[in-house]
Amino acid sequence: MTVSVQRYLSAGVLTIWGVMLGYFYYSGRVASYLHPAFHIWMGVSGIILVLLAAGMLFLPGTSESSCEPGCEQLHPQQTPVRGALAAIVLVVPLLVAAAVSPDQFGAATVNNRGYIERIDDLPSYTPYAEPALPVADDSQVASTGEENGSYLPKNEAGQIKAQTVDLLYAAEEPTMRADFENKEVELIGQFMPARETNAQGDRFNLVRMFVICCAADARPVAISVQMKKSESIAEMSWVKVTGKASFPVESGRRVPLVIADSVTLCDPPEETFIY
Amino acid sequence: MENPWFTFSFADFSYAFLSVLLEGVPFILIGTLLSGVIDQFLPSRVMVRLLPRNVFLGICLSGSMGLVFPMCECGVVPVIRRLINKGLPVSNAIAYMLAAPIVNPIVLLSTYAAFRGQNAAEFTLLRLGVGYIVAVIVALAVHNLPLQWILRRGVVSEVPSVAQRPRGAGFLFRVGSALRVAVIDFLDVMVFFVLGVAISALFSTSVNQELIMPLALNDWIATFSLMGFAAILSLCSTSDAFIAATLIAFPGVAKLAFLVFGPMFDLKLLFIYSAVFRKRFVAGLAVGLFVLIGLICVRLRVLGL
Repeated sequence: MTVSVQRYLSAGVLTIWGVMLGYFYYSGRVASYLHPAFHIWMGVSGIILVLLAAGMLFLPGTSESSCEPGCEQLHPQQTPVRGALAAIVLVVPLLVAAAVSPDQFGAATVNNRGYIERIDDLPSYTPYAEPALPVADDSQVASTGEENGSYLPKNEAGQIKAQTVDLLYAAEEPTMRADFENKEVELIGQFMPARETNAQGDRFNLVRMFVICCAADARPVAISVQMKKSESIAEMSWVKVTGKASFPVESGRRVPLVIADSVTLCDPPEETFIY
Repeated sequence: MENPWFTFSFADFSYAFLSVLLEGVPFILIGTLLSGVIDQFLPSRVMVRLLPRNVFLGICLSGSMGLVFPMCECGVVPVIRRLINKGLPVSNAIAYMLAAPIVNPIVLLSTYAAFRGQNAAEFTLLRLGVGYIVAVIVALAVHNLPLQWILRRGVVSEVPSVAQRPRGAGFLFRVGSALRVAVIDFLDVMVFFVLGVAISALFSTSVNQELIMPLALNDWIATFSLMGFAAILSLCSTSDAFIAATLIAFPGVAKLAFLVFGPMFDLKLLFIYSAVFRKRFVAGLAVGLFVLIGLICVRLRVLGL
């Protein structure tokens, strides 16, 4: 492969990568892939890659024409087959994956990874306060007293707009539990059939993906929802659940359970991950 | 186990594959741009002059350079490739390469944050200490090996030193040459990165993770199996602690091994290292690190981890 062809091929590969990174950044698709802290890095990288491609074509020092006798070592040449294979490996998987990827995991991966159903299984979880002195009855524990403030935002119907992870925290921490227990809540998440603790067949798991860096490390965080009548909903569809939050003791531990008044299909939220 | 051990979904695979690619590219790009700058603007032999003449002290210093020049495991390989070209002894380069993804302030902070409530300070210091010691031991072991056993053919000679650059080369020419070196390194490393990420994404989406849970029952099995798990998952060293901290069923020594082995050797690194080192050396490095880190971590059981 001549140096010129190699140079154009390199510039082409860089351009494709730069354009793809730019596309993911500016189209907003990046939000389905990376933690927000990484978005800007990806966008900047896209610009740099395009600039590198332009530099490869136009800057002196990047072409064989700038060589003097003896400096051919600057330009190690690949065989045509190796160069073409490298370009294929770099470009084809990227384009195919970008075309095929549904921007979210399906049921297979969620099942393979297993659910986080206890807050102490959540990455980065630590109790936020020392446990309160033991009380005979959990109901005596006061709430945080902030339910009217921004801590617990509410929808127009006055239901608390909660996240799955909020209810997992509440199951573990009595003070927080008092904020939610027997209160009307609204949650958005993905539908997955419940395979355990579902003897009556009227429960499903409401799932949100918890992400640290990128989707590859996402862990499904799930709470149980009990429906009044069984619904036929496709796995991993986005649903809005409204109902009453409860925290029964099942299999020896307190678990969050939403007794649903309604379960309706909805659009994905702007931020599909929880962090 | 209710679910089958293997369930492949091409859509899920593509999603995981793409997410790691998008996350990793900026770090590899930083590393390769730095390699271009090193190549064209760092005078030859300056590295040798800066390092202590004593081999042991030189390796120890190289192993701690990550505290000053933090690099992740993806970005560090092109950097050491150019540093070797600039005369840095291979053993020093390997000490930096293995230690920098652990012995750096970002990773220390993330480890501390991830293990809050689980002996965070102890875990962070042990990760730092074991990572550093292993890097120094491996570098010392490598020191007396002939270069042709370690480096791929052409790695040392493919880019000439500053002295070989055409006479009269101006600043713009050097910028162009730096850019060209950066591009070559970027494309070289990315080929291997793509292959490694593909295998890692296949495992992380298709294999039932419940498979690993029975391995937690014995210290030895848990330690070595978590190292294997780290190698397959190919997590970034800045985030792996958050995953390790959730492996509640596993003993502390196994989690420590996961945190030390993963940044030094995993599937994507297997491919990335192959851009610089001979295959036989990469295989030897993998086995050596696996055994050394495993033995050290299991022995640390005496600390009550």
